[in-house]
Amino acid sequence: MTTPSSFADYSRCLIAFIERAGRTVPATEAFGALARSLFALQFAAVPDFQRLCVARGITPGSLADWRDIPAMPTTAFKELELSSLAPTERTTVFHSSGTTEHRPSRHFHNAESLAVYEASLLPWFARHVLGRAGGFQPPSVASNCTSASGGRNAPGGDWKLPARLLCLAPPPQLSPHSSLVHMFACVSAGFGGSGSQFFATVGASKDWQLDATAALGALRAAESAGEPVVLLGTAFMFVHLLDELERLGLALALPPGSRVMETGGYKGRSRELPKVELHALLTSRLGVPPEFIVCEYGMSELSSQAYSLITNHCSLPFRFPPWCRALVVSPETGREVAEGKTGLLRLFDLANVRSVMAIQTEDLAVRRGDGFELLGRAAQTEARGCSLLAA
Amino acid sequence: MTLPNYFLADLPPEAELSPAMITEACLSLKRNRAHYLAVRDTPSVLRTLVRTGEDWLEADYPYRKFALAEGPAHTGFSTQTIATGLDGFFRHLTGENLEALLAQELGTTQRLDAFCASSSDNRTRRTALATGPELVGHITAGYVPNAAFMAIVLGLLTRSAQFIKCSRGGSFLPRVFLHSLYGSEPKLGACIEMAEWRGGSAALEQALFEQCAAVTATGTDEAVEAVRRALPPRVRFAGYGHQVSFGYVTRDAFLGWRAKKLIAAAAADVVAWDQLGCLSPHVFYVEDNGTGTALQFAGQLAEELARREASEPRGKISTETAAHIAARRAIYEVRTAHAPDQTRHWCSPNSTAWTVIYEAEARFALSCLNRFIYVKPVLDVAEALRGADPVRDHISTVGLGAQEHELEALAKQFARWGASRLCPLGQMQNPPLTWRHDGRPLMGDLVRWTDWEQ
Repeated sequence: MTTPSSFADYSRCLIAFIERAGRTVPATEAFGALARSLFALQFAAVPDFQRLCVARGITPGSLADWRDIPAMPTTAFKELELSSLAPTERTTVFHSSGTTEHRPSRHFHNAESLAVYEASLLPWFARHVLGRAGGFQPPSVASNCTSASGGRNAPGGDWKLPARLLCLAPPPQLSPHSSLVHMFACVSAGFGGSGSQFFATVGASKDWQLDATAALGALRAAESAGEPVVLLGTAFMFVHLLDELERLGLALALPPGSRVMETGGYKGRSRELPKVELHALLTSRLGVPPEFIVCEYGMSELSSQAYSLITNHCSLPFRFPPWCRALVVSPETGREVAEGKTGLLRLFDLANVRSVMAIQTEDLAVRRGDGFELLGRAAQTEARGCSLLAA
Repeated sequence: MTLPNYFLADLPPEAELSPAMITEACLSLKRNRAHYLAVRDTPSVLRTLVRTGEDWLEADYPYRKFALAEGPAHTGFSTQTIATGLDGFFRHLTGENLEALLAQELGTTQRLDAFCASSSDNRTRRTALATGPELVGHITAGYVPNAAFMAIVLGLLTRSAQFIKCSRGGSFLPRVFLHSLYGSEPKLGACIEMAEWRGGSAALEQALFEQCAAVTATGTDEAVEAVRRALPPRVRFAGYGHQVSFGYVTRDAFLGWRAKKLIAAAAADVVAWDQLGCLSPHVFYVEDNGTGTALQFAGQLAEELARREASEPRGKISTETAAHIAARRAIYEVRTAHAPDQTRHWCSPNSTAWTVIYEAEARFALSCLNRFIYVKPVLDVAEALRGADPVRDHISTVGLGAQEHELEALAKQFARWGASRLCPLGQMQNPPLTWRHDGRPLMGDLVRWTDWEQ
């Protein structure tokens, strides 16, 4: 493979990699080669990233292993404009969620980088949320969700397309800076039929408000029509929906084949439920069996997502697609921890073309094979001292 | 050495406490107090405390050896950190200091034994007797044992039975101290109980509070307030909430030969109890008029912390706490690369053992503790005080690194602003026995006075 000399060249190589990954297991060398290429491009084009690399003494010329590429902490996305796109080239910006945050993270995109985002999103979503096994063909990158009419015949494993995607989130026009809403819009455009809908509005303090009546109406219509649905939402929106079902004394039995994809934490926007309890309620109130509930892990700073499936009542580890590698690193040494040990999640996302590919999260995870078990945000647990601690 | 099961805190972790057990323990304490403690006079209590304090300073004292051997596994502190902390406390536990404490709090040293007059009482032809509460409940937080040690000392001085509730896993060092008292005077030890449970266990706490005449609580503002609200109205209460501390260094103090000593003192404050006490500094403000004094201070402090790590290593911390430090370091690494004139960072290699952050921004920063310290340049005291304004209501100690002639003016400014304790750098986590916790009387919240007008 020749070394890509521009982001456009690189994007073409990556998309070829993603398409190959749908057919065969990609070689580690291919990932490493793309990582090096992207590192070189980003080192040259993102000045704040270059400063961090130089301070660490790591340059494209000296890089020994892609794992050594300096990872940018997610917090830095709040303070710096980590983008190789000139301000005039930026068409979209995704902000981190959280209604109380003063400064959100910002991830800038243009049409080209959004196309890569979509190429990364759709096949892995199809495989984990729509399909139950491999053997899919990733949809074409040309399926730009911003112009798609929906219902394209993209293969979805055992799923009949178009699907009815019900999103417990505001529509893109109400929440243009949410990467999650963009994700929902993309999968709706890529796989959804005419019944696909969004069921929330945005309040004055930018909080999402579930339109429970409309959501329940759509769910009951699907129930009576016997048409399976794919229900997508954040954990806190599901809690609002479940609370509403409880208030009404209702339990639905969504048609067989219906799926639920839940993502994200609560951030104080609803009462918090342990995951097991949330899933049990999803099963009892919506009639969706545990094997059809999928957890998603993603963030505005990334362009790929990880999913965790449930088999035999056990959550399988989260797995990113082959173009995004997750390392669990020791907070003490920064080195990868042993299997089964806990550390901080560090991600190398080849689809993060126009920002930086290596991201240091503040999420604690347990290393499980080539995946990870998510423990949640690193926060101070019970204080050992009597001094006031940072929030 | 194994500790016998004298106290509830000696029970294995899986043992469940019930409200009935707490009530029964409190009733026993009150009976034992009536027989063994209420009849003791001040000099005999002082003798016991002083002898115990002297024993703890002996290298081969079995309880000390046990605390140092087993302490790291129970508390997370290294042996050296525990040894330094214990020495700091027990060196203060002398007869002279205890008498000074009684005189400070009660006017004379005999007030708890007989009606007597202070000099002001003499003027009004009055004598007075102070009586301690029958049973005091202490709700303590965290792993730094000083609050529990001091509670035990004060309780014995006032001849009160005591029930000390420690946080989960936080009882180890106070428990060994209690066993040492029990070992030398079992009857006295039988007037004190200690237990561990998770704060906010309402049924257990209610059973305890119903039996107490007074309660003290240390912890977060929320935890202290929750205790206060749970108390029956007749119970006296002293609560000690969130506190933070910082150091202040003048330009003149960091000159020439003095610099090395000052850095050693600053490092001692960061290292003591791994910075987890409320008297430990989060920030050192260093006077700097653009000459780079604060940057030099930060660099030298980092070197000193590296040296101290070799001789007095930081204890083990949880992955969560280490992750918190790693995440904080990561953002300062980015800021350093982005604007090195504004931010610099020094980190222990391959560990989170110590961290120094230089930040040219006077706003007070809460450290993640565990030997993570900020150094901030300021023009003068006024700038430091403006920076620390957001935590003004929570300030305990200001450690001062200043020349003799600068001290008085500095002290006044910090006192008027709201600091409740000023001390030399190096002594922040080592207050005297007479330290007025949070600027309040130590015994005044507990004892009942009987005035006799003649």
